[in-house]
Amino acid sequence: MNALRAWPQLAAPTVLIVAAGLLGSLTDRASQIYFISALVSVAFVVALYVFVGNSGVVSFGHISFVAVGAWAAGVLSVPAEEKPATMPNLAGFLRDTTVGNVPSLAIAAAVGGVFALVAGLALMRLSGLAAGIATFAVLEITNNVLRYTDKLGPGLNVFSSVPETTGLLQATVGAVLVVTAAFVYQRSRFGRQLRAARDDPAAARAVGISVYRQRLVAFAISGVLAGFGGGLYVHLLPTGADSLYLDLTFITLAMLVIGGMTSLWGAVVGALAVSGLDSLLAEAENGLDLAGRTIDLPAGTRIVVVGFLMGLVLVVRPSGLTGGREFSFGRLRPQRPAVVQEESS
Amino acid sequence: MSGDPLLEVEGLVVRYGAVPAVRNLSFAVGEGEIVGLIGPNGAGKTTTLLAIMGGLPVASGDLRLAGKSIRGRAPEEIARQGVALVPEGRRIYGDLTVEENLRLGLAARPGRSGAADDLEAVVELFPIVGEFRRRHAGALSGGQQQQLAIARGLAARPRLLLLDEPSLGLAPKIVDVVFDALAEIRRRGVTVLLVEQRAQRTIEFADRTYLMANGELRLVLDPDDAGDTDRLVAAYLS
Amino acid sequence: MTTVVASFVRDVVDPQVQIDAIGLGAVYALMAVGIGLVFGVLRLVNFAYGQLIMAGAFALALASEWDWPVWAGIVLCFAVVLALSVALEWLVFRPLRLQSPAVMLVATFAVAFLLQSIALLWFGPLGKPAASLVTLNRPVTIGSLDVRKVTIVAIVVAAICLVALVLLLERTSIGLHMRAASMDFTTARLLGVRANRVIASAVLISGVLAAIVAVMLTIQFPLVTPGFALQDTIIVLAGVVVGGMNRLFSATLGGFAIGYVSGLLGGALPTDQSQYLPSLLFGLVILVLLVRPAGVFARGGGPVERV
Repeated sequence: MNALRAWPQLAAPTVLIVAAGLLGSLTDRASQIYFISALVSVAFVVALYVFVGNSGVVSFGHISFVAVGAWAAGVLSVPAEEKPATMPNLAGFLRDTTVGNVPSLAIAAAVGGVFALVAGLALMRLSGLAAGIATFAVLEITNNVLRYTDKLGPGLNVFSSVPETTGLLQATVGAVLVVTAAFVYQRSRFGRQLRAARDDPAAARAVGISVYRQRLVAFAISGVLAGFGGGLYVHLLPTGADSLYLDLTFITLAMLVIGGMTSLWGAVVGALAVSGLDSLLAEAENGLDLAGRTIDLPAGTRIVVVGFLMGLVLVVRPSGLTGGREFSFGRLRPQRPAVVQEESS
Repeated sequence: MSGDPLLEVEGLVVRYGAVPAVRNLSFAVGEGEIVGLIGPNGAGKTTTLLAIMGGLPVASGDLRLAGKSIRGRAPEEIARQGVALVPEGRRIYGDLTVEENLRLGLAARPGRSGAADDLEAVVELFPIVGEFRRRHAGALSGGQQQQLAIARGLAARPRLLLLDEPSLGLAPKIVDVVFDALAEIRRRGVTVLLVEQRAQRTIEFADRTYLMANGELRLVLDPDDAGDTDRLVAAYLS
Repeated sequence: MTTVVASFVRDVVDPQVQIDAIGLGAVYALMAVGIGLVFGVLRLVNFAYGQLIMAGAFALALASEWDWPVWAGIVLCFAVVLALSVALEWLVFRPLRLQSPAVMLVATFAVAFLLQSIALLWFGPLGKPAASLVTLNRPVTIGSLDVRKVTIVAIVVAAICLVALVLLLERTSIGLHMRAASMDFTTARLLGVRANRVIASAVLISGVLAAIVAVMLTIQFPLVTPGFALQDTIIVLAGVVVGGMNRLFSATLGGFAIGYVSGLLGGALPTDQSQYLPSLLFGLVILVLLVRPAGVFARGGGPVERV
């Protein structure tokens, strides 16, 4: 399929994202937060997809890239006079520098990318179980360090005084940027080579594809996107080490699995669908009026429902809601849905 | 063919994905016979044995053991029905002792009693196995491991023994030992289906030999045909 | 500097710290066996193993709340853990058997999370106390040491379990079948080894061990929260990977080692250093995965498990 005919693969997710943004602008201020956080979730999930979907290797560590991105953007954009309040022991450079909104996002992306590159240099030789455990270790280490090092950021505290610049517009534009980057990558030579290595490692090696290098590229790019997502996130809510850890890892993975691990369309659909469900359940936890009846769910039901759905999808339809396929108009031949596969080394 | 067929393969089709490895294969093995199955690499011989053993899904056709269909059954069930496979490459548990490998062979035995006697009978057939009982199987030579693999297959007193290229990689002297053991095994009443690369030897040795190429049955050969190399080569290359 | 080192060394060789560390190592060794056994036979890393322990602990807490006698509480604990193990195997792990190990990894992670969230929903974040077993947490004075009874019990119980397990694996046919299945399942089935039986045995034994650990941990930490045993499971997983996931022996040794080391460092390090303990441990995990993927205690030339 040549590049031109593949345009629906980018257009469809973009339309969905913009639609979500527009829909959000029609609701009241209080409900907009759901739409904004759904769009930020798109960034997280697509970032994860760029690596997991194209390589077939599971990573539990992507939220650590989100975290360092959030940390970078957050620390650098808190106004200088506010910093000592929550971050009294910041290292010199971080204490003295303050940047604006867009630079902070760019820095977040860069930091995420560099961190992913460094981690990837070591980890990309691993597959399957070993990769899963190693990336989990990265998550643990990152969380541990960020939590207890108050020279780098708020440590055990939550970020405060970060300018809340992620509104509907920023979130929508951000999500579109991330999706576009993912699309460009997966259509590129790098993306194709990595998918070839995913589907048939031996054949890929035989034609000279370096699996290690391609994975590293995808890992680094997904780190950039995840870091960027972290930047968006820190400008949205007061966040801290706790919220950038296992819960977020779980829900991001759930969104990707439920949507469909192996396609961009799946990532976006999963993120928006699960966010939508999650928001609905969050409202219900606060007491929801539905057609005259009040639904009041106990706190914590959301995660149970999402977790259950994820388990259900894995057992019944592992390729997710979208079947792991990209969006197509049906007239075009749909891509073969590739099952996330194990590399035998 | 004397007696009723112990094993019947009828219209067997086995596929790897979209590629057919065995196409419409039909043959039979009578009770007490030694039947050979030869052919070039990739002919589908190993696939056939694995399919009989339940290790591969059957796309179509039937497999019958003493008249009862065994198609679609789990490998461990078929083993318990009295079929034993000595796989290609032996697949010995190197980290277990010789004794433990033999005891694994007992897993397919329906009854508990007489296990010790059966093991002794098998050791009698392959004395080398008895010598090295306590050693780790990985320390044995290739030939010794092959003998262990066959012994392991026999431990459960199967009705039908399937062997996948037992002489692969073995020195000629050891190959002789293996074939002598096969003759003794037949004498003890076990039916044998022997997949081999050594065409000549197999044709001479077996009661009847089937030649497969490209997933299909090409020729049926008697021991008298052993000298007919032209016919063989033609069939191999076709 | 020398005083810091001296004080560290003094703390480490303190018999009190040693005994507690051995006790922790013993508990972690049992968890490692539970995880390693299921991995060997099913090739499944059960992220949700800690949740089994949590469930058992909650059973003990409930029994305590209902004023059941101690033995009844323990029976309930075993029943709950075994039922949950079997349910997980049937509903989640079996249907997923055909999937890639990557998918199975994500699945067990999801199950772990799901179970924890259910516990959070059911019992709330503050958890429940399980007071009835507290008597075992009292110290007994041996010579100049104050050793908690539970530490002795833990070490003895662990030793008995490990010996029993070794006997089971080495002397019985089901044990032989399990060992063979963990080395090469396909060939084992071709030889007649019943897959279902082997898997059921692994799941049951693993469940029994989880229940035992639940009892022992509940004695030491009578407050049961949804996060109960979560941190321990993560550390034991790290230990199992570092020790060598492929073989039960090296996995168990890894579990014991990481428990022992954690106990020593926890007892001897000043508090502001010990915060970074998880980073050290996980850094070690990554290092081992890169350098010796089969594990530190694994036998050299074996097949490298990169999967």
